[in-house]
Amino acid sequence: MGSQHFPVYILLSLLATAVIIPIINSESFGKVKALIIATLSIALGLSVRTLQEVYKNGGYTYNFGNWNEKIGVQLVVDEFSAFMGLFIVALSFLIVIYSLKDIEHEIKPQQFTGFYTLVFILLFSMLGMTYTNDLFNMYVFMEILSITSCSIISIKRKKENYMASLRYLILNTMGSLSVLLGIALLYMVSGQLNMTQIYLTISKIWNLYPTNILVAVGFILTGLGIKAAVFPLHVWLPDAHSTAPTPSSALLSSIVVKVYIFSAYKILFKVLGQTIVVGLGIPTYITYFAAIGMIMGSIFAIGQKDIKRMLAYSSVAQIGYIFLGLGLATVEGLSASLFHIISHGLMKSALFLSAGSIIYYKEKRDLRDLDGIGYEMPITMTVFTIAAFGMIGIPGISGFMSKLYLSFAVLGANKPIYLAIILISSFLNAVYYLPIVISAFLKESKNRRNIMAIERLPKLMLVPMVIIAVAVVAIGFYPQIIMTLVEKAVPTFLL
Amino acid sequence: MDDIIVKTITRLIVPFIQVYGIFVILHGHISPGGGFSGGAVLGSSMILFTLSFGLPMASRKIPHKVTSILETSGILWYIIIGLAGIYLGGKFLVNKEAGFFMGQAGELISAGIIPLLTLGIGIKVASTMITLFHTIIEED
Repeated sequence: MGSQHFPVYILLSLLATAVIIPIINSESFGKVKALIIATLSIALGLSVRTLQEVYKNGGYTYNFGNWNEKIGVQLVVDEFSAFMGLFIVALSFLIVIYSLKDIEHEIKPQQFTGFYTLVFILLFSMLGMTYTNDLFNMYVFMEILSITSCSIISIKRKKENYMASLRYLILNTMGSLSVLLGIALLYMVSGQLNMTQIYLTISKIWNLYPTNILVAVGFILTGLGIKAAVFPLHVWLPDAHSTAPTPSSALLSSIVVKVYIFSAYKILFKVLGQTIVVGLGIPTYITYFAAIGMIMGSIFAIGQKDIKRMLAYSSVAQIGYIFLGLGLATVEGLSASLFHIISHGLMKSALFLSAGSIIYYKEKRDLRDLDGIGYEMPITMTVFTIAAFGMIGIPGISGFMSKLYLSFAVLGANKPIYLAIILISSFLNAVYYLPIVISAFLKESKNRRNIMAIERLPKLMLVPMVIIAVAVVAIGFYPQIIMTLVEKAVPTFLL
Repeated sequence: MDDIIVKTITRLIVPFIQVYGIFVILHGHISPGGGFSGGAVLGSSMILFTLSFGLPMASRKIPHKVTSILETSGILWYIIIGLAGIYLGGKFLVNKEAGFFMGQAGELISAGIIPLLTLGIGIKVASTMITLFHTIIEED
C-alpha cells in the first residue's frame, strides 16, 4: 500500500528541493544541476508509477492526517490528475534541461539558484492544483503559482520585465480575489469546501439558489479566465510571455495557463456537475468568448514583429480552442480540449524553445531578420517548422489531430458555425506562421550564402527540442497514444 | 540611527519581545496564536534591532547565511515530521493514529506533533521576516 503516498512524495520532493537549492554553495552550480536533475527524475518516475497504479486499481482520495474530508485537506488521484501530473512533470523536465544552458545567457550568475527555487515552487504549486480536491487548497496553490510566475518573469531585471510583471501581478491579484469571492459564495450555498462534498450537497439544493451559483461561477470563471488568458482578459499575456527568459516563457505558456484550465474543469464538472452547468447555460457563454479569442488572437499575432510576442498572441488563440472544447460540455468536446492541452503544450514549448535558441545563437528577435536562417540553424528551424505546421493544422502533426477531434466534437454538438471559425482561425495561423518558415528556408540571407551547416548549439538545448518535436510528430501519426489516456480521464468529469 | 535613548530602550526591550514570541510559538496548540504570529513577533524583534543599531551590527548578530539555513530547516522540519506519520503507518501529517504522545488537553506538552510543527513554522516565519528585511535594506 506504499504506492498511495506517491503524489505526496512528488509534491514534497519538489518543495524540499526548492528550499535546499538556496543553501547550497552558490559557486558550485554543478551540485545544483545534479540536484535538479535527480529530483525531476524521481518526480517523473513516481508520476509514471502513480499513473500505472491508478490504471490498475482505480482512482483514490488521499486525506492529509487522516482527517475526514469535511474538515481536512484532500488530494484526489484519479485518471485525470495522475495523467496531467505526469504531463506537467515530463514537459517541465525537458524545459528545465533546456534551461540549464540557456539561462546562463539570460540572467546573472548569482540569480541561478533563485531562478531554480522559483521554478520548483512553480512546479510544486502546479502539481498541487492538479491533484487537490479542496477549493481553498486550490486557492492557496493558485496564489503561490501567481506569485512565482510573476517572479520568473521579472527575474531578468529589465524595464520591460518589471512593467510586464507588475501588470501580471495586478491583473492576477484581481483574478485571485475574484476566485476567492466565488469560492466564498459556493461555501455560502453548500457549507463545504471539499469538491466532492459540495457536489453532493449542491446537486440536491441548486434549484433553491440558482442566482447564487450563477454569480459564484461567474466570479470563478472570470478569475480563472484572467489567469488562463481567455480573450478579452488576455492583456497581460503578450508582454509577460515575450519578455520573460525563454525557459520561463515556455513553462508559462505551455503548462502554467493549462493548470488554470484544469481548475476550470474541476469547478464546472466536479464541483457543480454537468446538469447544473448546462441548466444554468454557462457553457454557451464560454464558447462565445472562445470563438472570439480564436479569431482575435490570430489577428493580433499577424501584426507582431517580435518572434516571442507573436508566439504569445498565438497562445491566446490556442487557448480559445481549448475553451471551445470545454464549452461544448460533451464527452467529445472535453476529450478534444484535453487532447489539445497536451498537443498545444508540446507544440508551444517547441516553438518557444526554438525561438529561444535563435535568440541565444543569433541574438535576433525580429521576424524580418530571419531570412535564410534555416541554413544556419537547420535543426532548430526544423523543430520550429514542425511545431508551426502543427499550429496551422497540417496533417501528420498533433495539432491537426486536435483540430480534427474538435471539429468532430463541434459537429456532434450540432454547432457547425464553430467549424467555420476553426477553419478561419487555421487560415489566420497559416498567415503568420508560414512566412517565417518560407523566409527561413527559401530566402537568401543578407550576410551569408545559403550553405547548410549544422549549428553549434549546446547539446543540452538541442536534445530537449528534438525530443519534443519527435513527440509532436509521433502523436500526429498515432493520436491513440494520448487519446486512450484522455478517454480514460474524461469520465472523471462527465459520465 | 545613532541615538542613545533608542539604543538603550531597544537593548532593554528586545529580550522581552523575543520571550513573548517564543511563548506564543510554544503555546500555539493551547492558546490563541501559533507559529505564524509568534514567528512574526520574534522576527520583528530583530527588525527593531536592525533599525536602531544598523545593518552591519545586525548581520554580525544573525548573518544572512544563518537566516537562510534556518528558513530551509523550518520547511524541512515540517516535511520530516509529516513523513514520520507515513513511516509510522498512517498518512502524511498523521498525529494521533501514528502514536504520538497526546497528553492531557490544555497542558503544555500535549497534542502530539502540533507543537513540533508550530515550532518549525515559527522558525521559518521569523527567519523569513529577518531575511526579507535585510535583503530589502541591503538593496536600497
